[in-house]
Parts: sequence; C-alpha cells; structure tokens
Amino acid sequence: MARNHLVSKTKTLLLAPVAFLGLFFVVPVANTLLRYFSFSEFTNLLSSRSFRGVAWFSLWQAVISTIATLAIAIPTTWALCRFTFRGARLARGILTAPFVLPAVVVAAGVLAITNSRGVAPIIWAHVVFNVSVVLRIVGPRWSMVNHRLEHGAATLGARPSRTFALVVWPQISDAVISAATLVFIYCFTSFGVIAILGGVSRRTVESEIFTQAVRLGNTTTATALAVLQAIIIGALFFITRRLTRTSSTSLQVSSPQELRTKPNNRHLPLVLTAVAIVIVASPLVATIYRSLVVNGHVSFSAWRTVFSGSLPALSVSSQSVVTTSLLFATTAACICVPLSLLVASTSAPRALFSMPLVISAATLGIGLIITFNTAPFAWRSERWLIPVIHAVIALPLVIRAIDPAVRAIPISLRNASATLGASPFITWVRVDMPILTPAILRATGLSMAISLGEFGATSFLSRSGSTTLPIAIAQLLGRPGVATQHAGFALAALMVLVTVGVMSRA
Amino acid sequence: MRFIRTLLAASFVVAVTACSSSSSNSSIDATPNEVTLLAYDAFTPQEGIFDAFTAATGAKVKVVTGGDSGVLISKAILTAGTPEGDVLWGLDNTLLSRAQKAELLTSYEPVDTGDICVNYDKQWFASRNIAPPTSLEDLALPAYKNLLVVQDPVASSPGLGFLLGTIAHFGVDKWQNYWKSLKENGVRVSPDWTSAYTIDFSGSSGKGKYPLVISYGSSPPAEVLYAEKPIDTPPTAVIEPTCFRQTEYVGALRGTRNPNLAAQLISYLLDVPFQESMPLSLFVFPVNKKATLPDLFTKFAVAPKNPLTLDPTDIEKNRDAWLNSWREIIL
Repeated sequence: MARNHLVSKTKTLLLAPVAFLGLFFVVPVANTLLRYFSFSEFTNLLSSRSFRGVAWFSLWQAVISTIATLAIAIPTTWALCRFTFRGARLARGILTAPFVLPAVVVAAGVLAITNSRGVAPIIWAHVVFNVSVVLRIVGPRWSMVNHRLEHGAATLGARPSRTFALVVWPQISDAVISAATLVFIYCFTSFGVIAILGGVSRRTVESEIFTQAVRLGNTTTATALAVLQAIIIGALFFITRRLTRTSSTSLQVSSPQELRTKPNNRHLPLVLTAVAIVIVASPLVATIYRSLVVNGHVSFSAWRTVFSGSLPALSVSSQSVVTTSLLFATTAACICVPLSLLVASTSAPRALFSMPLVISAATLGIGLIITFNTAPFAWRSERWLIPVIHAVIALPLVIRAIDPAVRAIPISLRNASATLGASPFITWVRVDMPILTPAILRATGLSMAISLGEFGATSFLSRSGSTTLPIAIAQLLGRPGVATQHAGFALAALMVLVTVGVMSRA
Repeated sequence: MRFIRTLLAASFVVAVTACSSSSSNSSIDATPNEVTLLAYDAFTPQEGIFDAFTAATGAKVKVVTGGDSGVLISKAILTAGTPEGDVLWGLDNTLLSRAQKAELLTSYEPVDTGDICVNYDKQWFASRNIAPPTSLEDLALPAYKNLLVVQDPVASSPGLGFLLGTIAHFGVDKWQNYWKSLKENGVRVSPDWTSAYTIDFSGSSGKGKYPLVISYGSSPPAEVLYAEKPIDTPPTAVIEPTCFRQTEYVGALRGTRNPNLAAQLISYLLDVPFQESMPLSLFVFPVNKKATLPDLFTKFAVAPKNPLTLDPTDIEKNRDAWLNSWREIIL
C-alpha cells in the first residue's frame, strides 16, 4: 500500500490501543475461558437439540433482519447523501436516534403498536435499531464518491442501474459489506429486544448465555455457548473479509459533495426518506405518546416531574442521571476516538480490534468481575471502569466509522506535502486532519451513542450513586404506580428528543 | 458542526475533571469508617435513613448497586471470598440455597417479606358485573379465559414465585396438570414484570387487555402513592389465596474487611426505624414485630396469614427440572 511510509513511523503508536484492548478485554475474557470452559460441556451442547434450535433461530432471524435493514437503509442513505432537501438533517437525526435508546424503550414502542410478540416485531425492532448503523458507515463513504464519474457514465448512455453497478457499487461495496456484517452481528447477538419481544419460545444464543449464567447459575454452560457464538461470528468475519478484499476498488474520491436534485426524480429521495422515517420513528412516537397521554387525556405531569428533578420512587434526581450518562459518554468518547484514530492510520490487523463484537457481553461482564476483584487490580466497583468498558465496546464500530475516511485521503496530497518538506506530523495536521474532521465528529457521536445506550457488559459492574439513563428508565418502568411508569416514558422520550436534536446537527 | 465542536471541547474538559475527581474518590474504599452495602438496582431506601447509623457508629454507609437480584447474586457467587462489599441485601428464598452452596455469607437473617400474588383490575370486573376469581383453581375456569398474564419464571422473579406457589398448592405431581389447564385457558406469558404489568395489564398505565396479572401483595398501595392524580383507593386489588411468600435476607459477606461494622449494619437494618421505613420505600413488610405499618399498607396491602411457601433447599434442588417441565408445557 502507498501509505507505507507513514505506517513504519506510527507502529509504536499502536502500543496504546493494543495495551488498552489487552488489559480491559483480552485478559478478562481469557480469564473467563480459562476458568469456566470445559470441552465436554462444549460437545454436549453441539449434540443438544434444544441448543441447535436456539442457534438456528438466532441465525435465520439475523439474516432476515439484516436484509430488511439494508432494504430500508441503503435507499435512504442514497437519498440523504446525494441530495439536499429541506429537513434532510432532521431526517438523519431521527433515523440515528434509536441507536442510543435502551432496548426496553424501542421494544415497548413496537409492542404498543403491534400488541403481539413474535418474529415480525423482533425484525421491526432490529430495523429500527440498525438503520443508523448503515447510515453512519455507508453514508460518509457514499458522499465521497466523485459524482462526475456517474455523470460521465450517464453521458456515455448507461442506464442508472448500470451506472450504479459499474461505477458506484465498486466504490461503496466494502462499506456496505462492513455495515451489513455489523448489523448481522447485532441481530445475531440481540438480547434486550429478544427478551421483550421474543416471549418464552424465541431465544437467541446471547439470551441463552445470559439465562444460563445469571438465572440458572450454570457458568460452564454459558461459557461453552459463548465460545460457540464466537466461532460462528468469527467465521462470518472471515468470509466477509475475503469478500471485501476481492471486491474493493480504489476510490475516485473527492471531498464530500452533493448532487442537485434532478427534475425527473425530484420526489424519489423524499419518498424513500419518508418511508424509512415512518418505519423507524413510529415506535419512538409511541414512546412520546405514552409520556403525554394518561387514561386517554393529555397530561404534562410526567414531563414536569422529570424537569422538576425528583424522580418518583428512585433515590436519584433526573439531573444526576443525565449528568452521569453524559459524563460516561464523553469520557468513553475521549478514550475511544483517539485510539480508533491511531488504529485507523496504521496497518494494524483489524480482526484484533473487532474482537469485542465477537464476544458476548455476559462473557466480558463475568470476566471483568472475576479479573478485577483483587488488589492491585480491584477495579470492579470503580466508577471509571464503566466508561472504559463502553470505550472497549465502541472501539470496533468507531474504527469502522473512521477507517474509510482515512483510506480515502488521496496519497497524492500526502506525497505533495512530503515533497514540499513537511514532516509526517505536519502532513498529518495539515492534510489528514482537515479531511478527517467530519469523520472524527461522526465517530465521536457514535461513541457517545453507544455509551448512552449500553446495557450489556456494564450491567455486570456495580455502581455507587451513578445511575445512568437506561438503568433509571428500566427502574421507573419496573415499578407499580401510573406516575412512576409515566415518568419512565417521559425520561425515554426526553432521550429520544435530545438525541434527534444532537444527531441532526452533527 | 460548530455546535458539535463546542460540545466536544466542553465535554473534554468535563471528562478530564471528572476522571481526576473520580480517581480521588476511589481511595475512600480502604477507609475503615465506611461500610459497603451491596444491593440490587431496585434498592431505593428512604433518603437519609442511614444518618442515624453514621451518628451512632461514625461510619458512613455506601450503597453499591448492580443489576437485579439474579445478576447481583451470580456476581457475588463468582467472587465469593473476595467480596465487593461488607453486607449483601437482596437474597430471597428462591436464591438462598445457591448462596449457601457457594458459602457466600458468614451469617444471614430474614430482613423483610413480601408476597407474590395475582392482582386484578377492579374496574374491569365491576363494569362487566363479573366476580373476580378467588383462588388458583378459578384462574383455569372458562369464565376467566384469556384474562391472565404471568411472567416467564426463568427470567423473572415474580414469575418464578407464582410457579413455586402453584407447586406448593397443587403438589409436585399435580402442578403440571394445572399449568396445562392454564394454557388451555389462554394464559399469556410475558418475559418480565415490566412488560406484563405496564403493557399487558389493564389496571395500570398501559391499559392492556389482561385484567389479571402476577405482581406483589404491596402493589395496590404503590398504585395509590404513585398515582397520576391523588386517589383514595387503588384501582387494583390482590387475590389472597394465590400469594406465595417471598422472604429477603441480609447477610455479612465472607471475606469482608469490616466484620464488626457489617454486624452493626445488619442489626441497624433489623431495628425498628429502618424496618418502619421499608414499606413506603421498598414496598415490603418488616420482619421486626415491633415495627408499625403505615396506614396505606394496613388498608390496601395484603400479607396473608398462611401464604404458600416452599423450602429453599427443595427450590434449589428442583428448580432446573421444574423450569424445564414448565417450558415443555407452555411451548
């Protein structure tokens, strides 16, 4: 690769991300495996019919969820990245908001509309969550594709479908495959959505790991399941990496640019975006509705409660909940984004940094509490450990969000800078950084979003007076009393509105 | 863009200050003038209730929460002997044996009781002129078809309590038939308390389709205390003969560095002032006979004289098998 000259000099910089991942991810997970993995339990599992059923369900619902997500997200990404129209920013904000929401809120929203559990509501909830993943990963890449090439193809008589297949697709395909892989993994390892919308009969491997580890106390079975899940996802990674390697073409980049809406398809981008918004936003609207309507009439009392500060039945104020969540989110972003930038600007093996996606949250959670329980590493109830683990979980995604932008930096600019006598550092500051800024801002938003919504591995960590938003919402919805539940929905609705506001400005 | 940049700069400053302040907090851990109480997320004691303890002993009480009771106990068992705190709150009779097997605690005592009971929507039955069911057997009658929502006993502690109650009532050989008839009568299984009570149940905020739900004997007073507009009587009531007794324990964790403070805290939790604060903050009944109940509880909460019970050792021994047969019946 042409960026080799930079690579050799930045290799030492990789020490930080590798050490970080090693300490807070590899060691705890290895500790769990060493202590609880048993080969006989593993083979038992393979021959168990009930487990094969669980694995099969995880697989097919994930495939359908991924296809459904792509079918809605890809046209929307095209509409939002290639055209300007009024409300486009707001639309982007709305489509990205669900990502930060606790599963209980989205699932409750879906349930309020469908009023039944089962496969269709599960897939709907997965689409709601994951459209933003595609938008965030494919979007930046698509907006960098030089549209003169498309004009050229069109001038030479190519139909739009042919232009897409021959000109656009080769340039965005690895971003699409990368996004699709992520969506698949999220749906395969889905836990919160399945717990609420799956009912008793629909279980994924991840929800079974949690049941075995926490409800039944069978840590060995849980660990064997986690290893199997890691093997399945690892295999998928291997396949998609080969796919991206063979299909990816060098980019004909330009800085982000927008096409003017052409007369013959003036309405198409608007229609596509509107369809996606209806699908994604209706569960969110249901949440807002439940925060405003009690017994059939409108009431603002829950909102007054949330803004007055004292949450009914909980011993924390809403301000402290919001502050704690934002503090964790910003701390996680401050750790995660610089590390991702280091990884993205070197040729570090991406597989290493994708590991947090492969390992189940319960396995990491167990690893953390059995690893950091004795001095000098008695960190398990430290406040800072929570944002640190959020950063670990966000790392693979944030790297993916920054990676395409780094790769899209034209080598000619760097060469020119070097020829004119600039040091690699000056080149990085003057050439790389300005091009990377939008990607870094997006990555920061993404990292904060993951931190705000994370409810898996960190639920294993104990907290003293640091209740986060998802925990407060779950607690409020988990108690009798109309006012308490109402306040829970108001807090969730507040989270929706704030996220839409922030995301539509990013 | 500019907005985001300002936000980023500001949050960076906040994060750096916060990180440095939180690392200075952590040194408190080692001080002997603090005792740590480990509890589940739903542990919300009355504000300032531990001030008297601090005044008497000079030690602060640090409440550390993490997960629901299942998560809390699993975590504590995984690191039994090197505990995160000194005193554990949240062990109930369905989890007690698991903790004993792992020698999690050096001593433990019952601290509160509650009952898992069928609750009903009073208005739903009154407006239709139907008498609400009065027993477990009634729930399987055609008159109450498609009216009951229960929780998955694997994932939810009230769900498990109700299943255990049916086993206690019908016996280890007959409960399976009862659940078959419940299934034929259209019982709805929800994954957890929240979705059963706030979405499926008709008597609370969700206005769902099911007027019968598994909840607690203390849910009606909670409906009054946390009503949208002040009300005199709860919209829900409890069917007493369906109640299964849940006892929660408090204990000193094996390996605690402050065994003396731990013992002092446990006696404080069992003493009258704390016991009297529990009904309206934690919605459970005191075990201390000297504690008096608030009006709201004497009027609307239910604590039957002879609730359904099972021995914790029997629960631990048979739980997996019972859950498996329950799954086979329901699926």
